[in-house]
Amino acid sequence: MDLCGLNMLAGWTVSGDTIMIEQMPIFGGYTGGVEETAISDVATTLASFALFSGNFHLDGPIHIRWGVTTAKETLQVAGHAAAAIDNNTDLLIANQYYPMAGPCTEMCLLETATQAICDTISGRELLSGSAAAKGVILDRFTGMEARVMGEAARCAAGQKVSDMNETIANLYKIYEPTYQNQDIGKTFQECYDVTTVKPTKEYLEVYDKALQTIRDCGLDIKH
Amino acid sequence: MAVSRFIDVFEAYDRFANGKRVTEQQWDYEIIPRRAKMLKESYDLFFGHEIIPTDDEMCDRLFMAGMDMLLSCGIYCTDLGKALTIEEEEIYQGLKMAPKKLTLGTGKDKCTLKPRRGNSFRKPIVEGGPTGAPISENIFEKVIASYAQEPMVDGIVSGVINTINGRSVVTDSPWEIKATMSEIRHIREAVSMAGRPGMSI
Repeated sequence: MDLCGLNMLAGWTVSGDTIMIEQMPIFGGYTGGVEETAISDVATTLASFALFSGNFHLDGPIHIRWGVTTAKETLQVAGHAAAAIDNNTDLLIANQYYPMAGPCTEMCLLETATQAICDTISGRELLSGSAAAKGVILDRFTGMEARVMGEAARCAAGQKVSDMNETIANLYKIYEPTYQNQDIGKTFQECYDVTTVKPTKEYLEVYDKALQTIRDCGLDIKH
Repeated sequence: MAVSRFIDVFEAYDRFANGKRVTEQQWDYEIIPRRAKMLKESYDLFFGHEIIPTDDEMCDRLFMAGMDMLLSCGIYCTDLGKALTIEEEEIYQGLKMAPKKLTLGTGKDKCTLKPRRGNSFRKPIVEGGPTGAPISENIFEKVIASYAQEPMVDGIVSGVINTINGRSVVTDSPWEIKATMSEIRHIREAVSMAGRPGMSI
């Protein structure tokens, strides 16, 4: 925490605003491995409510090598931390999305859906995203990624944890090997008719293909 | 021992100001990693291959390890170079103060954030948007509209406008304020054009 953060919180607190506190633990950073990072994640989530008057918490475990939230290890940190908090409190918790691949690629949609399954099954209340292509390249994100995030969450809700663990493993085994050669996909302007805000036929076909892959991996996702 | 009251941001500042002096290097390279490693061992935490735990007892041990870490290390303030401390009862007081339900947005477009308690059949709230990623000024509204028009999306998380009046948005400059105000206006327009003016942003 720094004083700038504290001062912003002071303003929001006295104004009676709804306060979301965000924190992104780094897997492979100072804390080290998945278990240590998850411990720190739980500790800082609790601090958001106990010290800084947060109303809900936005997580975002991120991989130090890849800069994504969709890697196996970061999903594991997020899944375990959420389940631990959910089992022991009624706190409102969320997670955010930074996949490796960019829009109009199957990998981007698979990554986003996988994290949505993980967050839903582990008991999170809100999903926030998605910042495709790691959220760092101009105009490389669209509403279609949020569509798959929502649809995957809707289908995963209420499913058996062990079944979804298997589905998640099937999915990350497909996209993780592609991290080495990031496909940044296409820009919003290439993915949508900018005047009508309708996705291109090409993107709709990529979306359909991704949904079929997700079904093949064990989640009965529909349009 | 009973606590006098929950801790708010003002009390947190006072505790930082009166906290133990620690260098950032000590905090990052010694205190946090050593404690995390020790807690992993003492609470017997090993995740194996599971992404989401099926062992409730391990979930509870992880929760207690996180609680232990907050109690034993506190939180560090980088500007003051000090760490505050907090007591267990104060943490529980803070958790009791946290809202159990939040309404986001207004009118027909509002949604309610409430505990799902495990993997309930109720889907999580979906906040759609580029989550802080850079967006060209001339298509900002269209990008946000592409999220607002999705039926699965309940609210908007914005991206960052890349320029304002064609100028780059310099950090800590007046342009940053203008850009932020512009983003809010663009988002309001985008959700209205998508027929969902009350969406939370």
